[in-house]
Amino acid sequence: MPHAPFIIASFVVTGVGISWLVISSYLAMRRAEASADELRQQP
Amino acid sequence: MRRRVMHRFANPARFLRIAKPLTPWLLWLGIALTLGACLWGVFFTPTERLMGDTVKIIFVHVPAAWLGMGGWTGIAIASIVQLVWRHPLAGVSARAIAVPGATFAAICLITGSIWGRPTWGTWWVWDGRLTSMLVLFFLYLGYIALSNASSEKGDTSRVAAVFGIIGAVNIPIINRSVIWWESQHQKASITLGGSSIDQAYLVPLFVSVAGFSLLFGALVLMRMRTALAEMRIEARMRRMADY
Amino acid sequence: MKPKHQRLLLAVIAVFALLGAGLIAAAALREEASYFYTPTTLASANVAPGKAIRLGGMVQKGSIVRAADGVSITFTVQDKDKTQKVAYRGITPDLFVEGSGVVADGRLGPDGIFVADSLLAKHDENYVPKELADIDMNSAEHTKDTLSK
Repeated sequence: MPHAPFIIASFVVTGVGISWLVISSYLAMRRAEASADELRQQP
Repeated sequence: MRRRVMHRFANPARFLRIAKPLTPWLLWLGIALTLGACLWGVFFTPTERLMGDTVKIIFVHVPAAWLGMGGWTGIAIASIVQLVWRHPLAGVSARAIAVPGATFAAICLITGSIWGRPTWGTWWVWDGRLTSMLVLFFLYLGYIALSNASSEKGDTSRVAAVFGIIGAVNIPIINRSVIWWESQHQKASITLGGSSIDQAYLVPLFVSVAGFSLLFGALVLMRMRTALAEMRIEARMRRMADY
Repeated sequence: MKPKHQRLLLAVIAVFALLGAGLIAAAALREEASYFYTPTTLASANVAPGKAIRLGGMVQKGSIVRAADGVSITFTVQDKDKTQKVAYRGITPDLFVEGSGVVADGRLGPDGIFVADSLLAKHDENYVPKELADIDMNSAEHTKDTLSK
């Protein structure tokens, strides 16, 4: 059985999973902190 | 005295002073180490005696498995701290771990399945190790549902904490499964006594584990910061509504 | 729906997910036990030919014979006391080598040969580069000793 597809598939799955985690966590954090700071500016 | 030490970090403002500069460091170092270890593992390690090139899957499968299990251990410890000391950040950190932990458990299951097809001859078997790892994934889903359903404070958040502690029973089961049951999955290669993995694979594997761990830390910090910011917004809204 | 009811519903879902996972695991492990044989238990169990069972053991050294067609093989599964001859057609897993563990799904033929539909090969806990293992390519057992030398 050729090995390359299995190796590529594993690394792609891992890459997609971790990228999704990092990007979604980062965007959620930036959005939440921005609106928290914005609220603080208001009197 | 211990109470004082515990509560020094209980203050969210103090925690944020440390967490904010720490996040980019953990994140970039984690990304660099993970990418480096994967490139090293894929292109610069020898083929294995029996498995051939599929051995390279170890560099993502094993770190994902360890962090999937480590994540739940973290949830259990944070839940104990939350219940016993009422540490205000403990619950926040337990919740922050859940989604990354579940994702790493899923990555472990999927890459393991992909690895099993050419080497074992099957995508899946219901043996002790695979089944208990799948149970861990379901536990994460249950915990996420529970903690989403409960508010940040009060009784309902304690239900999630209790679930986190009880679910930790599964962690030693995963660890011992290959010894307790006659299983398809091989026994542990890396134990406290040493390793039966050749140096050529072991060194990049540890670099990969380090990279995944730093990334995990960065993810948890980011998610904690999100939760804290949302709590600040909520508190502010409530005060504005009171006027 | 009130938030409190929503929470309750989710808690119930979580409990059911947990129970379901546990039941699947228990059922799988029990089913596994009921039709798993080693050469020794198979020899004394008097299993009817044609009944689907699972056979596990070690691949006997020097027993793998590959037919000229390239896909048919025969080999012998052994445990401590007994052996059982197995026939299989298909691609073998990478870890299927003499001296290592194997689990075969299939049935006993009338001639006493076990006809396997699928083969599962087991890995041991050793990971060894190919160049280091050229001492004895067919032995999966000796690597630990070779490594520690």
